[in-house]
Amino acid sequence: MDNISSKESKILLVEDEKSLAVGLKFNLVEEGYLVEWAKDGREAVNLFESENFDMIILDIMLPYINGFEIAEIVRKANPQMPILMLTAKTSKGDMVKGLELGADDYITKPFHLKELLLRVKGMLKRKVWYKEVTLNQPKFSFGNNEINFESLNCKNSKEEFKLTPQEAMVLKYLIDNKGKIVSRKELLENVWHMNPDIETRTVDNFIVRLRKYFETDPSKPVYFKSVRGAGYVFEDQQH
Amino acid sequence: MKKKHSLFYHIVIFVLAQLAWLALLGLWIYWYVYNNIVFEKVGDQVSPQVSYDITNVVPFVVGLVLLSGLSFTTSLIFRHLSIQLRLAKLYDNFISNVTHELKSPLSSIQLYLETLTERNVPPDKQKEFIGLMTTDVNRLNNLINSILEISALEQKKLSHDYQVQDAESTIKNLLMDSVGQFRLPDDAINISGSAPCEIVTDAKTMKIVLDNLVDNAIKYSLESVKIDVKLSCNLKKFIIEFSDNGIGIPPGEFKKVFNKFHRIQNNNVPNVKGTGLGLYWTKEIIRNHGGKISVLSEGEDKGTKFTIELPVYGASKKRFVNKLLKRK
Repeated sequence: MDNISSKESKILLVEDEKSLAVGLKFNLVEEGYLVEWAKDGREAVNLFESENFDMIILDIMLPYINGFEIAEIVRKANPQMPILMLTAKTSKGDMVKGLELGADDYITKPFHLKELLLRVKGMLKRKVWYKEVTLNQPKFSFGNNEINFESLNCKNSKEEFKLTPQEAMVLKYLIDNKGKIVSRKELLENVWHMNPDIETRTVDNFIVRLRKYFETDPSKPVYFKSVRGAGYVFEDQQH
Repeated sequence: MKKKHSLFYHIVIFVLAQLAWLALLGLWIYWYVYNNIVFEKVGDQVSPQVSYDITNVVPFVVGLVLLSGLSFTTSLIFRHLSIQLRLAKLYDNFISNVTHELKSPLSSIQLYLETLTERNVPPDKQKEFIGLMTTDVNRLNNLINSILEISALEQKKLSHDYQVQDAESTIKNLLMDSVGQFRLPDDAINISGSAPCEIVTDAKTMKIVLDNLVDNAIKYSLESVKIDVKLSCNLKKFIIEFSDNGIGIPPGEFKKVFNKFHRIQNNNVPNVKGTGLGLYWTKEIIRNHGGKISVLSEGEDKGTKFTIELPVYGASKKRFVNKLLKRK
C-alpha cells in the first residue's frame, strides 16, 4: 500500500512496553493513521511479512529479535520503507548503527509527543515526495556510476551495491540541484524535513558515504564537492 | 569495539612482557654460564691467585629471584586489569539496562501527560491512561528503591528487623502477598510440603527475595506462569524449593546468575527488562540470613528451580542469632 496521501497511512508500531505502546497507538490513531502494534521482534517480522505498511516505528531493545535486526530484514525486503527508531539508548554508537542499518530517523526516549508526530508526518511526506520525484526519472548515471532510485540498486566502476533510502534521498536532492550550492541546513530541512536534533555532522557523514560509493578518489571529490562555509555542490560535467 | 580492542592490546602487552622476561632470563643464564666456563678455562692461567668462590652464585640467584618477581608482579597486574575490564563491561551493561528501565516508564508518563493536556481524551481512556501512569510510577519507584537498598545492603547500612518466626506460615503469607502484588491468578503459585520449624528472618527483606523469584518466573515464562513451592525442614535447615515453568537457565549460567549486573544473553528470552541486580540482591539477603541459594535447570524450556536453605533457629550458632536479633 503506497498512499500518496500520508493520512490514513498504515504504521507498524514495534514496542515491547505496553504502557508506551498504548499511548502511542492512541495518538497515532487520533492523527488519522492506521496502526498495528507488535509486542516483540518475532511478531513485528510476521506482521511486516504478512501486511503492507507505509512506515515502521521501531524500538531497539526487543524480545527475540532486536530493532537493529528488524531494520536489516525490512531493508532487504523493502528498501524504501521509512523506519523511525524509537529507543532509550542514547549512545552515539547506537545512533550510528541504527542509521547505517537503514533507519531514516532516530528519536530517544523520553520524547515530546508533538515532535514525534511531526517526525512521523515528515517521514511519510518524504516518502511521498521521493516517490513523486523519482517517478519521471527513476534511473540516473554520472561517470561510471548508475543509480536506480526505485530499487536503490547502484553500480560504480568496481561493484554493485544498494543505497539506504536516506542516502538515496540526499543523493536525489543534490542531483536535482546540480551545480547549485546546497547548504547543510537546506539538506536538513528538505531531506530530513523535520529534525532539529540531528547535528550537521550527520549531513557530512552522508556526504562522506556518497563520496565513498561514487568517487574514484573520495579524498579528491569530482562530483560531491565541498564549498567552505556554504555546503555542498553536485557537479557532473558530462550532463 | 573499542573495549574489545583495549582488551586485545592488554593481552598483547602482557604476552610481550612475558616474552621479554623469558628472553632476559635466558640471557642472564647464558651470560652466567658462559662467563663461568671462560673463567674456569682461563682463570687459573691468567690469575692463579683468584680462586673460584661460591659467592659468585649469589648475584646469579638474586638476579633470577628479581626476574621471577618481575614476572609475578606483571601477572598480578594483568589479572587485576582483567578483573577491572570485566567489571567495567558489566557496569556499562548495567548503566545501559538502568537507562532503559528508567527512560521507558518516564517516556510513557510524559506521553500521557502531554496527551491529556493536548487532546480531548474520553473519560474511559483517561482512566486507562492514569492506571498505566500509576504502574509506571510504581515501576520507577521500585527501581530507584532497589538501587538505593542494594547500595545500603552492601554498606551494611540497611536497618533490619530480624525476628524468630514460624517458617511455614511466614513464607506462605509472603507468597500470598506476591500473588496479590503481581496480580496473579490464585492457582499460579502452588505451595506444598510442611515445615514445622522456626527461622530467624527479616520479613521485609525475605519478601524482596520471594518477589524477585516470582518476578523472574513471570518475566521468563512463555505461557502463563506456574510456580511450585515446596517447603521442608530437617534438624538444621529450612528448605524452600521454588520451581517455575519458564524458559530455564543454561548450565553454564547457574553460578553467574547471582553475580552483580549479570544478565543472560539469550535471544529467546521473552522479556528484555531488568538490571542484573535482582538475583544478586536475593543472594545477598539470603547470605545475611546465614543461608544459601542455588539454582538448577534441566534445560531449555524445562523451567528453573531455586533452592533456598536457611538455618533453623534452634540449630543456628548462638552468636550469629544474637547478632541478628540484636541481643547482647
